[in-house]
Amino acid sequence: MSAGRDDDPRIKGIKSKIRVVPDFPKPGIMFQDITTLLLAPNAFKDTIDLFVERYKNKNISVVAGIEARGFIFGPPIALAIGAKFVPLRKPRKLPGEVMSEEYILEYGSDCLEMHIGAVEQGERALVVDDLIATGGTLCAAMKLLERAGAEVVECACLIELPDLKGRERLNGKPLYVLVESH
Amino acid sequence: MNALTGNSLKISRVNIVSKKFQRHSHSGNSVTLKSPNTSVNFQPIRAAITGAADSGETHSTVLPTESARDQLRSDMAASPDVKDGRIAGISAAIRVIPDFPKPGILFQDITTLLLDPKAFKDTIDLFVERYKDKNISVVAGIEARGFIFGPPIALAIGAKFVPMRKPNKLPGEVISEEYSLEYGTDKMEMHVGAVQAGERALVIDDLIATGGTLCAAISLLERVGVHVVECACVIELEYLKDGGGAAIRGEESAAEGGRRVGTG
Repeated sequence: MSAGRDDDPRIKGIKSKIRVVPDFPKPGIMFQDITTLLLAPNAFKDTIDLFVERYKNKNISVVAGIEARGFIFGPPIALAIGAKFVPLRKPRKLPGEVMSEEYILEYGSDCLEMHIGAVEQGERALVVDDLIATGGTLCAAMKLLERAGAEVVECACLIELPDLKGRERLNGKPLYVLVESH
Repeated sequence: MNALTGNSLKISRVNIVSKKFQRHSHSGNSVTLKSPNTSVNFQPIRAAITGAADSGETHSTVLPTESARDQLRSDMAASPDVKDGRIAGISAAIRVIPDFPKPGILFQDITTLLLDPKAFKDTIDLFVERYKDKNISVVAGIEARGFIFGPPIALAIGAKFVPMRKPNKLPGEVISEEYSLEYGTDKMEMHVGAVQAGERALVIDDLIATGGTLCAAISLLERVGVHVVECACVIELEYLKDGGGAAIRGEESAAEGGRRVGTG
């Protein structure tokens, strides 16, 4: 799958609205801050439109968004394409019965949870997050959906950090991003 | 529907923050649609709620008393009637989970609403219809479930979306507001520069309980000169244990007297 969408005139405006904050959350990290994009209604709308145009005719019935910034981009896409929105959350946030998937961090591990029964066998799903870095979180998200019997059609992010090779961690699943940051 | 269809309690499609909330000097509107007296109109909605939801506890209607209702209707001409057919579907899509996060709490789970595309769309449409002609330039959503409802509203009305977050999540310069929990305190943060003095804002969350979090959000916005036009929540908890009751009961007496506090 193609990485960027350099040919679309909306991409430049979107990229220009993303703010880079150095040394957050710790020294040496250049944090890609999408909150400034959310302050530009036209650019935010363009972002959603680009995803909706790509997915509206692909029989997607589930949009899974990763807590918390995936909750900002996932629901507008889900609403526009008539799909369910399924939040994938940190441990102990979802009430009721959940399934969990553990994933490795730089130091230690974390867990992602999804409601049992949210997704049914055979459903076609997207996974949405603001950014893919190492791909660990997206990978855990995909596993949860697949364990529930869904087919993950694609992972969709605004930003990719290609140097961290997250794309390779997706076991061949397609990844679609709007902008890359090196 | 799917395996997660649930019953629900009464629903309030919007909640408007009362002046009586503690630690808050907000001068915006504070009309409440609540009443401790159930009216005849409550029956049709209650019929959609299965018995399991009523675990002995009273969750009364959000429909106002006669006099309050008439006054509210004339004042809020743009708002949908509480008998709007969409409300029942939204209410029915919300699931109640007992004893979460701890024993005795009936948790209002909106994730089942999100699994119902029509009901989710109706929820957003109800808010958009209410706010689209009110010159709102900012929709502030409270982490994390406010992030689900806020952005679709912001996009539809052409407003900015501003996330109000737990500490240490927002990069760069922030301002913070501390607020009380049942035990201890927590903090909410907003980016410096996200909003400008004079802007008109909405605050969105999935649910209002004691109002502490919403108050903190209002404070953050007002500290930088923003006018908070209204708070909007999918669900309002009318019956609360302990301290939460004080703020809510204050609103109930306002509704009973048919008195409208503030202007919209």
